[in-house]
Amino acid sequence: MRFLMMSMADDSTPDEALMVEMGRFVEELSAAGVLLATGGLDPAAIEVRSVGDEITVTDGPFTEAKEAVGGFALVEVGSVAEAVELTRRFRRIVGDGKSVIQQVFGP
Amino acid sequence: MTDARRAVEAVWRLESAAVVGALTRVVRDVGLAEELAQDALVAALAQWPRAGVPDNPAAWLVTTAKRRAVDHLRRSQRFERAKEHLVRPDQVAGSDQDERDGPEQDDALRLVLLTCHPVLPTEQRVALTLRLAAGLSTAEIARAFLTTEQRVAQRVAAAKEALAGVPVEVPRDASDRVAAALEVVYLTFNEGYSATAGDDLVRLDLVREALRLGRLLAALAPREPEAHGLVALMEVQASRSAARTDATGAPVALHEQNRGRWDRLLIRRGFAALLRARDLGRPPGPYVLQAAIAVCHAQAATAEDTDWARIAGLYDALARLLPTPVVRLNQAVAVGMARGPAAGLDLVDRLRAEPSLRDYHPLPVVRADLLARLDRPAEARVEFERAAALTDNAAEREFLLRRAADLPAQDRPTLGASAEAFLARTDLDPTTLRSYGQTLGRVRRALGDAHAVDAITAGDLARVFDLAWSGAAAKTWNRHRSAVRTFCAWARLPDLAADIDRRPETRHRVPPLPPEQVALLWTLDVPVRELALWRMLHESGAPVRTVLALDVEQLDLDDRRARVGAGWVSWRAATARLLAELLAGRETGPVFRSRRGAGRLSYERAESLFKQATKALDPAGLTLGLLRR
Repeated sequence: MRFLMMSMADDSTPDEALMVEMGRFVEELSAAGVLLATGGLDPAAIEVRSVGDEITVTDGPFTEAKEAVGGFALVEVGSVAEAVELTRRFRRIVGDGKSVIQQVFGP
Repeated sequence: MTDARRAVEAVWRLESAAVVGALTRVVRDVGLAEELAQDALVAALAQWPRAGVPDNPAAWLVTTAKRRAVDHLRRSQRFERAKEHLVRPDQVAGSDQDERDGPEQDDALRLVLLTCHPVLPTEQRVALTLRLAAGLSTAEIARAFLTTEQRVAQRVAAAKEALAGVPVEVPRDASDRVAAALEVVYLTFNEGYSATAGDDLVRLDLVREALRLGRLLAALAPREPEAHGLVALMEVQASRSAARTDATGAPVALHEQNRGRWDRLLIRRGFAALLRARDLGRPPGPYVLQAAIAVCHAQAATAEDTDWARIAGLYDALARLLPTPVVRLNQAVAVGMARGPAAGLDLVDRLRAEPSLRDYHPLPVVRADLLARLDRPAEARVEFERAAALTDNAAEREFLLRRAADLPAQDRPTLGASAEAFLARTDLDPTTLRSYGQTLGRVRRALGDAHAVDAITAGDLARVFDLAWSGAAAKTWNRHRSAVRTFCAWARLPDLAADIDRRPETRHRVPPLPPEQVALLWTLDVPVRELALWRMLHESGAPVRTVLALDVEQLDLDDRRARVGAGWVSWRAATARLLAELLAGRETGPVFRSRRGAGRLSYERAESLFKQATKALDPAGLTLGLLRR
């Protein structure tokens, strides 16, 4: 089962200790074969909206920064509980904030 | 509570390799390490719901289990030897962080190399690795391999027992052990990817576990190109999972798959793993070559874009390293695509003498394809029909028959029709006809029913005989040979058995034991039961099983004989004396009883006892049959 874990952006800039710990966490999960892909997202977003035949493209940013996705991880695990456990560890490292987990349909 | 259980299970699935590995280092016994880890899980189940899941659950489990290990070792004599590896219980609490780096990785590698140890039979290796290194439950493993929980539990227990005396250290040159572990991973993957049984053609849980273990091994042994090669191979193959079956679940061949459904993420990961293998700069091994072939296919946007020249070159290299018949058949396909059908056919025809491919339907399919491309439609049709007769898969049979029907048939009498007519003869008795039917059945399967009967050569038939009956007894060989000659005479064909030599039928009898050796037997220090049995076999000359089947009721002790069916088993004075001693007045039951209880001495046991007892006479031990005169 694949899960997409999205973490909401926060205003703080990560310090070096956190970067090191994060790097180690990512490395560990990649080695364990659980983490398939991960990345951070540029807060400057572009919105594409369609209504009827009309498509409107607007530059971001979002009005509420805390609701914007700041980073993602695609994991392959055997159960929801495993995905939750991984996210729990991730949150321990990054501190206060919110992550959302959704299962990716498909094989 | 169930939430806590799920959380503990999730931790275990993610961390079992590290936890059991660390404990194995301490207690030096993988079975004990697992027990301790299980105890720690029980403790976690009690504690985590109240205190919350610890920051580093693996370290918590290791620490808890180590405390128990100390208790355990204190009580055992191993304590003295092992205590230098142990942290003192009062120091354990603060030691979590020191353990985060190096040793943990080594622990996991040590564990996987141990559970994949070559001393274990393959199925035990697979079960133990999935249990300990992948943290699957016996129920999950049983489901994955379509077997019972009990059987999996037995395999795991047997494996743990076998490993109890095996050193847990990773040897300095671990390549062989890594290779054994890669084999376990690949087997698991294949079981999941091309499910040999069950309703699903692909079992994704096994594919996922294999990928996970493979990625773990590659991270643990990063200097082993084959580990990266295997990961690359599995990633690229797994990328096709969604495209491999159609809506009804039927398989879809590679060149007909919808490439849009291939998982680009896995393909990219496969590329990256293959690059890591190449960067190590060593000559490519079988997994790296297979991965490179898989990558070539993955790189082609359409089937027509496939770089067959490169794939053929890779298969040439693979066939040199791993010249199995199936690899060579795939090589022939690639060569046929890259260098023309004649070159491919040349390779395929060399495989026709391969016993393991005798009834392997892909061989005639490949041959048929190549023959059709060489504009030899009649022969291609024969091969398609032969392949259809050999496959068990109904959908595939239909497909092959359709392809055959698209090709023009030759109008000469066929082998199938001639054989049917021959077997319909009324002037032969049914036994003879059945025997001829067996011979011709094999010939028809090997050459194909549609084969023109007058085009069969003596060489064709010699090849069929070598493949089918080279290991058979001379009598069987000659029976098939004369069946073919009879058929040829009847069908007004030249003698197609001309290249098949008649084999001399010798009835070789093992010479009986020389008298001086027999005399030595009676001096051996063995129980009276053995002496009585041996004497009776020697004096009566009766078959071993007949003598062992005797009951006391059958014996006529006065006349020294026993009725067996319509005949008699009879003996002389020496046996009579020993029988009296053995039976000691007993009037019923088996004459020769098993040591325990009132059962009968088995043939196998009797032979084994004789073999043991006669080691002094012959280092290999003798068999009871030699006693018969």
